[in-house]
Amino acid sequence: MTPAPLFGELPALPLHTAGKYVAGAYVVIFALVLIYVVILAIRVTRMERRLGELLEEQTPSAPQELDAPRPESTLV
Amino acid sequence: MQAASRPWAGSPDTKPRRRGVVRYATGLRALSISTVVAVAVMLGLVFFYAPLEAEQGFLQKIFYVHVPLAIVALCGFVLGAVFAALHLNTRDSRWDMRSYVAIHMSLIFAVGALVTGSIWAKGSWGHWWVWSEPTLVSFLIVFLLYATYQPLRFAIEDPERQARYASVFAITAGAFVPMNFIAVRLSTAYLHPRVLGSTSNLPASMAFTFLVSLLAITLLYATLFKLELTTKHTRAQLRALRRRAERKSAVDGRTVGLRQRSAAPTLLPAPTMARASGRSAR
Repeated sequence: MTPAPLFGELPALPLHTAGKYVAGAYVVIFALVLIYVVILAIRVTRMERRLGELLEEQTPSAPQELDAPRPESTLV
Repeated sequence: MQAASRPWAGSPDTKPRRRGVVRYATGLRALSISTVVAVAVMLGLVFFYAPLEAEQGFLQKIFYVHVPLAIVALCGFVLGAVFAALHLNTRDSRWDMRSYVAIHMSLIFAVGALVTGSIWAKGSWGHWWVWSEPTLVSFLIVFLLYATYQPLRFAIEDPERQARYASVFAITAGAFVPMNFIAVRLSTAYLHPRVLGSTSNLPASMAFTFLVSLLAITLLYATLFKLELTTKHTRAQLRALRRRAERKSAVDGRTVGLRQRSAAPTLLPAPTMARASGRSAR
């Protein structure tokens, strides 16, 4: 049997049979986009945490640096 | 007087911008809203407007998402090649980032096209996959070819070499995509229905629904592309900030963190990039 006539002879699937395939295909796309958004959300959360850590590391030392005399000034 | 000291105060257009600073998130909100509207319209047209196809009936509704996904994925691969060529031409790492993201998004869309195609094949042909069908196999070959892109990047530690090799790969593979497409269409024995080139044979309502679907999926690609680019760029900036803080810590005598190997492009300004390649040349 050649492939082309096979396709031509295929009968239209009734709604109750085709419905699950159509629903499956659209659910797959929805799930892909959803998974992608969840991955992005995790990444953004991680970035926010790292930014917070960086800010924490930088904040306490900043006033000391401002107050401390510069090495050049001690040499003079 | 105040306006004289701050000449950009009245108009945002005249506000001075730092050279080389790119804001990828610009226009993302408008693009996202357009995508949501387009996808909603697409679903409405597919399920409430487009008529049932005579041969396949309700199963044909899969085509409104499967075909645009495949088209957009293949166009995305070619777009990745164009960005890669621009990267090799200008040596600007931002083009490498765009090429990487275009290929990354296209891979996700290609997964969607493969899965929806398989579901359609099961419903229509009774098989999840038909190895004798050139369209399916050629698409799988293109997908597998691009699936090696990220491992290739990850295998190269030096950021400049990684970007250069990845660009060469993207251009070569990108040229393969249209060649592959033409070769498959020239082959005579096929089972896979043809959509491109035969839209004129479709009823106007079906053709309109298909074009809206193509637009919606293209917008979805553009939005996710921009979103991914924004996230990657922000992460790169954060890494740069962290490295700067680590260098400062090293000067102060504190522990320095090690750089993690990554497949994602590293954004480097041109002079730094040249220095990095010189330093790591073995």
